[in-house]
Amino acid sequence: MRPFEPLLPADEPGRPEPAANLPILTVAEVTQLVKGAIRAAPRLRDVWVEGEVGQVSISAAGHCYFTLKDERAQIKCVIFRDDRLMMPFEARTGLRLVAQGSIDVFDAQGVYQLYVRTLQPSGFGDLALRFEALKAKLQAEGLFDSSKKRKLPTYPQTIGVVTSLSGAVLHDIRRVLARRWPMARVVVSACQVQGGGAAPTIVAALRRVARWTDPDTGRTTDVVILARGGGSLEDLWPFNDESVVRAVAAHPCPIVVGVGHETDVTLAEFAADVRAATPSVAAELVVPARSDEQARLDVFSARLRQAAGRALSDRRSVLNNEKRALEANHPAAQLAAERERIGNLIDRAARVVGRRLELDRATTERAAEQMPALVATRIGIARAELNRQSASLGALSPYATLERGYSIVRGPDGTVLRDARTVKSGDSVSVKLQRGEIGARVEQVRDSSS
Amino acid sequence: MTDNVDAERQRIAALPFDKALAEFRQVVEKLEAGNLPLEDSIALFEQGVLLQRRCERMLSEAELRFQRLVEQAGGKVRALDLSVSDVEDAG
Repeated sequence: MRPFEPLLPADEPGRPEPAANLPILTVAEVTQLVKGAIRAAPRLRDVWVEGEVGQVSISAAGHCYFTLKDERAQIKCVIFRDDRLMMPFEARTGLRLVAQGSIDVFDAQGVYQLYVRTLQPSGFGDLALRFEALKAKLQAEGLFDSSKKRKLPTYPQTIGVVTSLSGAVLHDIRRVLARRWPMARVVVSACQVQGGGAAPTIVAALRRVARWTDPDTGRTTDVVILARGGGSLEDLWPFNDESVVRAVAAHPCPIVVGVGHETDVTLAEFAADVRAATPSVAAELVVPARSDEQARLDVFSARLRQAAGRALSDRRSVLNNEKRALEANHPAAQLAAERERIGNLIDRAARVVGRRLELDRATTERAAEQMPALVATRIGIARAELNRQSASLGALSPYATLERGYSIVRGPDGTVLRDARTVKSGDSVSVKLQRGEIGARVEQVRDSSS
Repeated sequence: MTDNVDAERQRIAALPFDKALAEFRQVVEKLEAGNLPLEDSIALFEQGVLLQRRCERMLSEAELRFQRLVEQAGGKVRALDLSVSDVEDAG
């Protein structure tokens, strides 16, 4: 760095002109000069600034950036993460605050800023003092010790919720629990969450949860949520009340406190086993996610089936090995050998019998070859005989006689006439010929015997 | 035998989620360790399936029970059902 030199020559109060002994500075050099001047001013090393908080942003690294302003000016402020986490209050837009810290230059952006070390609500000087005093006292007692923090149960069956019955908080908590872990049972212990009389109702509601036992199962709550929505510092004040903070610390169940927005900090949260940024986050923290559990179950199910499959296939191969070992010595194996011997005998017997059958079959076949001729002859004879029989049967039929030219004559009563004397002249008779019939009348009766 | 199976079924059907899940995990690990008689392996597998079903049923069918703690005369605290409308109306 160049040695410090006066920017303007003392003898030339008019327009400055670059001179050979006045070098042109770089931006960094100017910034360094300003930074040096600011750091050299003892008044700026420790300032208390009161103003209203403008825009607030929190970086990914956890640092808080905001502006503090009044009617005439504004100043950029920074709270580094570590300092911020130690502060009882956080900057929120619209709040009037007293910030304490030092002024310095941020080279990269060419700005001067207030690097905040402590933050207090202005106009709450009294409350802020009480807050700090109470915080120090309870801290000294060990109420906020991290060693006292209890672990939340992984799968709570019954969840106590201490909050107001009115407002969105209870509804939000219910929605989150119903979505993530619907097998839980929720018991709500109602209280007021703002106003002068709120603190005793919060304490009573916490005690009510502690006193409750399910008459059937004997179960108590596994975890408790103490919650309140966002509000002003005054609104949240009951959660800084000593009786409330003590009731939280002394509660028999693990307790999650979610009060206000992320930037609000109350003493009840310091005393809680777990601090939640908001009531909904508190609800998320106390239960597992159904989807995670389903995924876990799926993994176990796959492992169960794999292991069962393996157990069976192992058994099967063991069984096969044992079977093979057993078969060599087992009586059944000897039986099998015996059976094989018998089988051989049977085979031999079968072969013998087979050869014998073969011979018989040859004989039979030779006999069969002569059969057709014999059968045909017999059939021819039978058929001739049948024809003969049919012919003589035809000869015996009365109608066969007609064929030969004879007729059959029946009298008036239909009887066949054998004797001429059975009719007289004038009788009607019918004459049956081979084809057709004749109706006739008797003219004359001649007795052949006469 | 059938009575035992039924009793086991009923016991599992009444288990809370965490117990059922813990037992399920034990069954899986036991079966994975192997060295069990075949009958035991099969019995474990069947028990595992029951436990898995119990867990899944609870995950899929459970409905959040929402109650309010009320102090009665004599200071006894009881839990009474709280309907959605109770909450919303109050808000």
